[in-house]
Amino acid sequence: MKRLLPSLRAKKRYLAFELISEAPVSRSDLVKEIMFSASSLLGDVATSKCDIKVLGFEDWKGIIQCSHTKVKETRASLATLTRVNGKKATLHVLGTSGTVKRATEKFLQNHLVFEPEIKTKSKTAEE
Amino acid sequence: MGKPKFYDFCVHAVPDGENSVEQLAALSRHLGYSGIALANHSDKLPQSRPVLPSTHEFEVFNGIELVEENPSKLHSLIGKFRKSVDVLIVHGGSENVNRAALENPRVDILNHPAFDRSSGLNQVLAKAAAENDVSIGLTLRPFLHSRGPRRVRLLSDLRANLDLARKYGVSLVLSSGAMSCFDLRSPMETLALAEVCGLEENEALEAITIVPERIISRNRPGPGHIREGIEVLEEGDFF
Repeated sequence: MKRLLPSLRAKKRYLAFELISEAPVSRSDLVKEIMFSASSLLGDVATSKCDIKVLGFEDWKGIIQCSHTKVKETRASLATLTRVNGKKATLHVLGTSGTVKRATEKFLQNHLVFEPEIKTKSKTAEE
Repeated sequence: MGKPKFYDFCVHAVPDGENSVEQLAALSRHLGYSGIALANHSDKLPQSRPVLPSTHEFEVFNGIELVEENPSKLHSLIGKFRKSVDVLIVHGGSENVNRAALENPRVDILNHPAFDRSSGLNQVLAKAAAENDVSIGLTLRPFLHSRGPRRVRLLSDLRANLDLARKYGVSLVLSSGAMSCFDLRSPMETLALAEVCGLEENEALEAITIVPERIISRNRPGPGHIREGIEVLEEGDFF
């Protein structure tokens, strides 16, 4: 199939994020939860316009793609994420960029994921 | 203009919430806040006053959220705590409490005023709030944790209050209302969520930067302050 011309492709923004959560989270659970919270905040129609996709997620960090005009809506729906797979979690957007490369270089490469102490402490409190 | 300073003015720590002040402070600093106010509910205060881990870049303000159903008791509680705290929040939730809080100029913020079938404000209360400079607090926590009909209800209450606040010039304060570390959201996410919920961009920004700063400067008068409206600007030997 012929690829779409660059000028006709949808413009996107890439949000670099870190996940702060009690327990390790798999990518598929995170994707499911993000889509659920987006569709419950914005509704299915508006969510489809945001064009949210989780491109990569490993080691608590990842990149989410969205439409370049809907960054605000996407961020708001990411903020309403409270649990992944029943475990408490928070998604913290580190920054936005127009390309995956730049987002990775600028926000993810030198970023240390925050405080293992909270994770461990809340876990021990549960036990 | 430099980068704006963001404040989160309603955070609950142990024993009210789940995490300690240090953990909350560390995370909110990491998220990009310049300060938080520890505002435990007055019925769940710790035995001793917690040590606030403040540094010169990040400050933890001493606050309290008063929970009291009886208006006259509420007024006496306000008098009791006013001197010792930087931020005095009243936990609203009935007509009498809302009214008592908004008509007392010593109160800084009224949180979640909504009660059954009412958004909690009306034109009389909004006018009183503007006169006494009591801000309406919008806490994010309920918006994050509810889904479906409950959140719809919260949003429509918020809209009704926003309309009143705009008409009468009541200031707003956006805060997380966090009970644990996982309820904290970074300033940018808070702003985005507030805008999706119906605030204007500049309103939301003001509610998280300028209004909190004003509350702090009002409650921590400078060295030359004598009383409201009278201030020594320049020391000098005039006699």
